[in-house]
Amino acid sequence: MPSFLEITLGIIQALMLMALSPLMTGIMRKTKAKTQKRMGAGIFQPYYDMVKLMRKDEVVSDQSSWIFRSTPWVNFAAIGTAAFFIPVFLSYSPFGLVGDLLLVVGLFGLARFFTMLAGLDTSSAFGGIGSSREMMVSTLLEPALFLAIFVVALTYGGTNLSTLVEGASNSSLLPHPQLIFAAIAMFVVILGETGRLPFGNHATHLELTMMHEAMVLEYSGKSLALIDWAQSIKQVILFSLIVNIFTPWGIASSVSAISLGLGLVIFIVKISVFAIFVAFLESSIAKWRLFRIPDLITVAIASSLVGLVLYYL
Amino acid sequence: MIENLILFQIIVSLFLGGAILGLISRNGRFSRPLIFIPSMMGAILTILFSVTVITTKSMSWEVPHVIPFFNLEIFVDGISAFFMLLIGIVSFAVSLYSMGYSKEYEIKKRISIFGFLFNIFILSMILVVGSNNGFFFLMFWELMSLTSFFLVIYDHDKEENVKSGMTYLVMTHFGTALIFVSFLLGYLQTGSFGFDSLRTSSSSFPHLIKDLMFVSAFIGFGTKAGIVPLHTWLPKAHPSAPSNVSALMSAVMIKMGIYGIIRTVFDFAGFGASPDYAWWGVLMVIAGSASALIGILYAVVERDIKRALAFSSIENIGIILIGLGLSVIFASYNLHTLSILALVASMYHTINHAFFKGLLFMGAGSVVHATHTKDIEKLGGLVKQMPWTSMLFLIGAISIAGLPPFNGFVSEWLGLQAILSSSQIPSTILQISIAFASLPFALTIGLAAATFVRLFSMIFLSKTRGTSLLHIREVPRNMIAGMAILASVCILFGIVPFLGISLLSTVFHLSSSPSSPYDAIALKNNDMTSFANLSMPVVAIMLSAVALGIFGFIRVVGGKTTKTIYGTWDCGFGKLNERMEYTATSISQPIRVVFKSLFKPHNETHKEFSIPENSYLVKTIKFNSTTKNIFEENLYTPIISSTLFLLDKVRKIQTGKINSYLLYIMITIILLLIFVRFNHA
Repeated sequence: MPSFLEITLGIIQALMLMALSPLMTGIMRKTKAKTQKRMGAGIFQPYYDMVKLMRKDEVVSDQSSWIFRSTPWVNFAAIGTAAFFIPVFLSYSPFGLVGDLLLVVGLFGLARFFTMLAGLDTSSAFGGIGSSREMMVSTLLEPALFLAIFVVALTYGGTNLSTLVEGASNSSLLPHPQLIFAAIAMFVVILGETGRLPFGNHATHLELTMMHEAMVLEYSGKSLALIDWAQSIKQVILFSLIVNIFTPWGIASSVSAISLGLGLVIFIVKISVFAIFVAFLESSIAKWRLFRIPDLITVAIASSLVGLVLYYL
Repeated sequence: MIENLILFQIIVSLFLGGAILGLISRNGRFSRPLIFIPSMMGAILTILFSVTVITTKSMSWEVPHVIPFFNLEIFVDGISAFFMLLIGIVSFAVSLYSMGYSKEYEIKKRISIFGFLFNIFILSMILVVGSNNGFFFLMFWELMSLTSFFLVIYDHDKEENVKSGMTYLVMTHFGTALIFVSFLLGYLQTGSFGFDSLRTSSSSFPHLIKDLMFVSAFIGFGTKAGIVPLHTWLPKAHPSAPSNVSALMSAVMIKMGIYGIIRTVFDFAGFGASPDYAWWGVLMVIAGSASALIGILYAVVERDIKRALAFSSIENIGIILIGLGLSVIFASYNLHTLSILALVASMYHTINHAFFKGLLFMGAGSVVHATHTKDIEKLGGLVKQMPWTSMLFLIGAISIAGLPPFNGFVSEWLGLQAILSSSQIPSTILQISIAFASLPFALTIGLAAATFVRLFSMIFLSKTRGTSLLHIREVPRNMIAGMAILASVCILFGIVPFLGISLLSTVFHLSSSPSSPYDAIALKNNDMTSFANLSMPVVAIMLSAVALGIFGFIRVVGGKTTKTIYGTWDCGFGKLNERMEYTATSISQPIRVVFKSLFKPHNETHKEFSIPENSYLVKTIKFNSTTKNIFEENLYTPIISSTLFLLDKVRKIQTGKINSYLLYIMITIILLLIFVRFNHA
């Protein structure tokens, strides 16, 4: 059994992730605005939006059923639970005894399952578009993600996230060539899972570019706040995974005030840099045609396979 | 010991009693209770019996010379009892469900025959797993195949059902023939059809014989299990059979194939822990991956509910086989712990599939019962009319999609961990190939989620797409109860995997069994660092805690707000109608396009113009999209047509004249005489 202090730290890590997630969304929006020569809203704008939405009344479609109503809660519960397994500033999460990376993937799957159902529940064609596209993309992303996990798990000996991140932080600077290939695959998967360009575009509500937005088009008020928040938590979870697995420098491996504080600061810096990089990348590429996306995912899969072969040879 | 025997005899007589009562009752008022109450009691006793066998010790029963030279030998050990437990639980739920479901057959005046076949079918499956003698095994196997064949063509008014029944009959006998070959090879070595003699002496068989026994049994049992490319009967027979029968067939009967493969590999064919046998496992992994991927790819585009579920059964059998194959590979390299992990993954999935597929077929049956259509393009919006059915179907859908905290997730998690452990096999080629095999496995899991999102939403959500919802009512209570039993087991085996794993470790005499329900499933590296942990009860608690926490948070921050019910956003163009909705075909269109090399979709657009010269004013537009079944067209059609061609040639000697037949007989006698003469010399 982990000690009381460890469990507390674990819970604090998860709450940190949840609290930080709108900030990352804000930073990314600001970066995109700057690269497009706009002023853009402040980086704290997503927090204001969320509070505003929580206080608004809701409109619910008369066609919808209890699936539509319960989806925001299931969505948040699944993604919020996933946040507990992620090592943030401490290389160790006590919840590693409960679940691993595959469970995190499974929980994302649960959230996505309900979101797709909700998209189809309102009998709007927009929901259909979104769910149908999400179905294709998520289906193809699954093997890409699993193969990337495969490479990482073999290199560091486990899908347990604490083992993974500890293994990563103890190893020297990029000693394993296969990890570069896994990182490429993981990066593509993260773009896809968070619905960023070239997969989809968060900033518009255009039929051509919508994926996630189309599924949740009918939500308003508290439900929309929940869905948006859950989406940004998911994004931060994926960002911290890639950051902590592939660039694990500076993460705290012991429980002391200095190393924890340092770990937290370094984490925030690293993840912000990563977020700015993704936003920058998003500004510089266009949305791809839907049926070109499988090509990109194939690249991710092939990259992981190369990594696997490199590991075994 | 003796009590077990009596219990077993009571079970047999209960099912026989149900069968006979069914025949006697002749569609009377009490015919349904007379048929299904004995089978329910029999099923409960089967559960009781298998639990006692698993927890105490094996049962054997021998009746000498039932048929000259052959003793009826019944031997129930842990593995048999494990499969009997599945049969018991599923057939109890299905019998309860059938009380309501078969009501419509009373009107058709044929329920007595149905009752007879139904009881004998369940009984034959129990006897198959119990028999300890090749001769009787095949006899019960044949009984099982025939009763299920008659049940498949039960609705024989429809031409289509009879056709699918014939496909089933041919395929299942092809399988039986190969199983017979396998047993015959054993007989030639031991001189007995008894399984005991195989068990004791199979390790000393020549290697070639072992391989032959395995391959023929694998193909034979694989036909029953529905391995690609021997699966063609499955998507035909399951939709044709009444839904309660398809539930039994898909949940338990195809598992008899898995049972046969396990018995053959670990008991009869003399498997030994040497890399020489690794290719058995490789064969299973390849067949399993192909079945999983191809099964689910056809399921995701299918329009018929029951056909989609049948294709998904092929997928799940594939997943079970991948686990089993990995277990064999690990065992052949003497990696004992990993072999156990893979075996547990595979058998856990066997349990899970029995439960959720039984549940889903019953759910599909309820939908068909209420709406009289199997076409999901015509369904939709049932969630308000049939709240219970839809909720139970959703539980089955989430479970089969392998999502936490339901049971499918646990077995797929174990399966993925078994694949990840393949790095410990001391053979680089195998390591890399198994890593590549994880690609179809992961893709299958993703596609399964898509399949069941599509099925559930098309049947139950949004507006109806054709059938009028006016007269649709929720199904009777006993049907809901039957589904609810399996749904609750799905949840139970998801949240408390301890149940399943300790059951499996008792059945297969595994050393490492978890000590308490609170223990996580823990996999460790060689240096004792944690490889992976999973504790489903805690995950369930965390999920509900997070949900409660966020509920409180939102209430505190957001305060009280109201909900207004209003029409779906229609871009300001006026009322949306059901023709504007996404349909089952359109929702799977992206997947059809991505995998177009498999589906070979053929699209036809037919336009009619208001003014023939003007192609801008379209009056009507028709769109037709068909996909091909490449197995039927490229594998079965050539075989069937060449067989017909051959038989046509053979027909020429059948002249119908008695003189020529006399000539044939004389030629035969002369040939025989020559043969005997030279054989003696």
